[in-house]
Amino acid sequence: MSNDWKSYKPMLVPAIRDLHDISVYEKNNGYQALKKILKDRKTWTPANVVNEVKTANIRGRGGAGFNAGLKWSFMPEPDGKPRYLACNGDESEPGTFKDRKLFEFNPHLFIEGAIIAAYAMQIDVIYVYIRGEYRPFIQKLQKAIDQACEKGYLGKKILGSDFSVEMYTHMGAGAYICGEESSLMESLEGKRGYPRVKPPFPAQRGLWGRPTTINNIETLANVPLVMQHGAEWYLDIGPKTHPGPVLYGISGHVNRPGVYEYPAGMDIMTLINEVAGGVRGGKKLKALIPGGSSTPPLRADMLDGVTMDSESLREAGSMMGTAGMVVLDEDTDMVDLIWRISYFYDHESCGQCTPCREGTGWLEKTLRKIKDGNGEMRDLDLLLAICHRMEGRTICALADAAAWPVRYSIDRFREEFEKKCKKTVYAVA
Amino acid sequence: MPEIYIDNKRYEFEKPGKVLQFMLDKGLDLPFFCYHPSLSIPANCRQCVVKAGMPVFDREKKVFEIDDEGNRVIRYFPKLMTACSLDLADGLVIHTHETDELVKEAQADNLEFILINHPLDCPICDQAGECPLQILTYKYGPEGSRFEHKKVHKPKAIQLGPRVILDAERCINCTRCVRFTDEISKTYQLTIISRGDKNYPTTANGREFDDPYSLNTVDICPVGALTSADFRFKARVWEMNQTPSVDITNGKGCSTWLWTRDNLVLRVTPRFNEAVNDHWMPDAGRLAYRKFNENRISRPHLRPDDAGQVRTSWNNAQLTLQEELEKVTADEILVIGSPHASVEDNYALRTYFGNLGVSRFRFLPHTEPGTGDGFLISDDQAPNTNGVKGLGFDEIDEKSLIKLIETGKPKIIAILDDDLLGRTALTEEHLASSWMIVWGTNHNDTTRAANLVVPVTTAAEHAASYVNVDGRIQRTVPAKETLYTNRRLNLEMSMGRLDHYGTKFDNWVSDANRIDCIPAWEFFTRMKSDSDTIAWESSRQIMEDIAGTFPVFREVSYDRMDEENGIQLKLEQDSEVKPA
Amino acid sequence: MAETYTFTAKDLKEIEKITAKYPDKLSAVLPALWYAQDKFGHSDPSVQQLVAKTLGVPEAHIRGVVSFYTQFYEKPMGRNVLDVCTCLSCQVSGGYDMLHYIEEKLGIKAGETTPDGEFSVQSVECLGACGYAPMLQVTNDKFVNHLTREKVDKLIEDLRAGKKPDFESNPMPQHEKGS
Repeated sequence: MSNDWKSYKPMLVPAIRDLHDISVYEKNNGYQALKKILKDRKTWTPANVVNEVKTANIRGRGGAGFNAGLKWSFMPEPDGKPRYLACNGDESEPGTFKDRKLFEFNPHLFIEGAIIAAYAMQIDVIYVYIRGEYRPFIQKLQKAIDQACEKGYLGKKILGSDFSVEMYTHMGAGAYICGEESSLMESLEGKRGYPRVKPPFPAQRGLWGRPTTINNIETLANVPLVMQHGAEWYLDIGPKTHPGPVLYGISGHVNRPGVYEYPAGMDIMTLINEVAGGVRGGKKLKALIPGGSSTPPLRADMLDGVTMDSESLREAGSMMGTAGMVVLDEDTDMVDLIWRISYFYDHESCGQCTPCREGTGWLEKTLRKIKDGNGEMRDLDLLLAICHRMEGRTICALADAAAWPVRYSIDRFREEFEKKCKKTVYAVA
Repeated sequence: MPEIYIDNKRYEFEKPGKVLQFMLDKGLDLPFFCYHPSLSIPANCRQCVVKAGMPVFDREKKVFEIDDEGNRVIRYFPKLMTACSLDLADGLVIHTHETDELVKEAQADNLEFILINHPLDCPICDQAGECPLQILTYKYGPEGSRFEHKKVHKPKAIQLGPRVILDAERCINCTRCVRFTDEISKTYQLTIISRGDKNYPTTANGREFDDPYSLNTVDICPVGALTSADFRFKARVWEMNQTPSVDITNGKGCSTWLWTRDNLVLRVTPRFNEAVNDHWMPDAGRLAYRKFNENRISRPHLRPDDAGQVRTSWNNAQLTLQEELEKVTADEILVIGSPHASVEDNYALRTYFGNLGVSRFRFLPHTEPGTGDGFLISDDQAPNTNGVKGLGFDEIDEKSLIKLIETGKPKIIAILDDDLLGRTALTEEHLASSWMIVWGTNHNDTTRAANLVVPVTTAAEHAASYVNVDGRIQRTVPAKETLYTNRRLNLEMSMGRLDHYGTKFDNWVSDANRIDCIPAWEFFTRMKSDSDTIAWESSRQIMEDIAGTFPVFREVSYDRMDEENGIQLKLEQDSEVKPA
Repeated sequence: MAETYTFTAKDLKEIEKITAKYPDKLSAVLPALWYAQDKFGHSDPSVQQLVAKTLGVPEAHIRGVVSFYTQFYEKPMGRNVLDVCTCLSCQVSGGYDMLHYIEEKLGIKAGETTPDGEFSVQSVECLGACGYAPMLQVTNDKFVNHLTREKVDKLIEDLRAGKKPDFESNPMPQHEKGS
């Protein structure tokens, strides 16, 4: 990766004052992508929009990294009955704080993207599910939605066309699991956020039993860029396998934490040292959690040449996740850290599936025992065994998300764990 | 026909369905907790995991890909799948614990997880002995637990409602109870509260779980989290015998099990019958066990004068009736059949008095309009209204009955088990000029007013048939002994534990609690008669008679009822064909 | 708990507006509970009952929902609820120090309410302000970022005086650089 990033001009959250206001947004090419589509419906049939987005290979920014256009193409043909788009702004994965930047600074880009998505999938109602803790940001988004309605970008017969779509915000109330798409739907339907068994997939049977697509907020914010400049242009930003601009949320032990927008595939060390101003207090880097708490931590010596995109991170032994990077310095107590992550997953397990309900608690209790200095060597094997029993055995991925950090930390920071464990002495038989 | 391979064995399937149910139907074994055939499928217990795969299909050549050894190439799902939620599909390959080590491990792992926060208090738990968790742990569980921390504590012995008690620590969060109130009884009284391992089911704050079907949640609870307030601590499951029967507390006639020990019925639970009650029954029907045990009439009772009733011998009872009958003519006798008594007893009553030339056969339906719920509780309070109707008893309403007695002044009134004085405006004064004989099971206003009371068997003591509100005839099997029956001699009686568990070890040996009573039909066979039409030796024989006499009951037999779990009769509007 | 709660005609109109956004009434459970909690300060059993009755949704269902979502208060809380994040980035940036400082200052433990009913303190999971750690949220509303002891002192003083914190904007550092 060259120094190109230095000249990169943010597009998702550009440095324009008051961009959250619709008139400013309009002056800066806002809603042009939507207008372009609605003006030339022959070229931009819904199917063609889906194809364009599919070609652009927008990898879902919510964590799974699935091609958004491909996801859209799973929607069945319209049958005259309701279909839904649910926008996922639950953003609850520890280390993640990027979508709120869009709500605060550039809500219309997301709104425009959601409208285009609704057009492409012939959807008539959009729900924006946002975590309840983001109340101030929901209010900001709501203001933007109201403006968009006033200007005729939302509502009946948009911009004089026969295309209509409504957009509503739906406020969560404190449950990490509601970021999981099927749980999000349950929550939207007014229930406890229990993930649903798949199949059926949301495109077959989603909200209120109707075809539904769920996309992350940042993912949708990429859509107007693709539609305005074309998929080819988009594919040239960052690696082709994981293209486009990315909101990197950098937190932890760095000098300048915050959300940064750069192309996907940024060199990790560049992000830490140059973008975020290096490790705080001149300390040495110990580890990085690259994409939110569920992504396996990487030791500092594993980061050489690794870039922030799915492929490179997979090779390095982790995942892109939400690009919420948590930087950890040499003083970090990994046992403490991993215990706290386990505590989080134990607290957030919905309790539906046995391995997750019981396993997250067992992990937490065992790690707490080690953290408190009461651990024994065999507890480390037990932890690995519990992880093994949780992974892939549940309805949703929370169990996996809870297991990975534990499994990989023990693997990658074993000495630290061992140091905290008493040496078990077994009687000789 | 589409096919599926389970543990390398080929099966064919006709209808779409789920793998677990298919396996259960085929008698194959797979552990599970949350799945219930009559409820939605949450796949949350994760116990029924299997390895599943589909053959790789070459779309161009339109054939399945074949490996070097000539077998289909199977592409397995990356994760283990829950069989309960997995659709049957043509070519699907399933490996269970029988043929796959990972599945076997996963089942043990899952049980270890379930048990870490389970109190393991089986010795004091009512569910022990019939507990899926206990049984499956023996079969599939790990040898021990590696959990060394404090278990999560939750509320215990909570009176959730008048009939159900919750021990939240035992709960494994299968959600069957919540789904039951949401999907079957539709009272929506239960929910899971909290999250993660702090989850447990309960009601809304300050609300009682008074669902009229609440005890079904106790039946389907796969652990001892929900127990019956009434049955709690009364008996261990292995001390009881289990006999198939029919609910006699209302017109729906749910199929039931009677659970007995020492000639007492200790509880009533529903027995699966797709045509009537599926897996369920109303709570009210479960209280019927009291009727079988308590306030029973034992030995005939006679009222020689106004002073009151005294116990008498069977011989004397028969002679007394004989004497009274000789005093009157046939048209001075009013015979009242009963919707509460069986088809056989009503038929015997009718046949006996028919032989004497009596022509007035009436019965009074026992309905309470508005009490039915369109599900398993009917307006009809009696189990055999259609049966007695089908035997040609004339339906009469309360007013007409009283008028008939007031104006007709019958010299003898014969009432088969029915508390007419208790449930109608009929009083002792109306009956002052009549001599009344009652065949009864329990003491009530009517038996107390009778001149002669003949104690008869309840549904728990005889083999007899009942026709429900929908015209389905079902039968009972004797579950408890009377003074005159013996399980080892009477082949109609349930063999209890031998039938169910193949064990001769049986605690049902006591002679206690046996009632001095006989089936009503048997009483008539003891009476002196000129006719040989009542020389029955069993109720089975009576049903053969009935089947040969009444078109409605044509082709009805005990064997068929047993095989088909009851028989749907074609009740025509005017089916009252008088016996020849 | 003998207190009974009611919705005014205006409230009912607002709730009707909420309900209109969804194809069924059940879906309005979360926003209706929010509406009720904003009005009454908590979602205790009597509030749950009111919401159930208003929406025509089973009471048990409402209890299940309220107990599932951490932001709904199952019992009355202090006038100001300080939700101190101690998760991951906040943990490594002094979140626990801030929590303990607040506990000490108010003389209560996390999960408790001061005797004067002014403050409740909770240790909570990630609030999505990882770059601005340590931080807390005041009564499900504004975030207070970059906590220091001084900032906590000031916050508590302000809250005692009835002054709620302002919205803190955290711009992208990239923009500030002017490059």
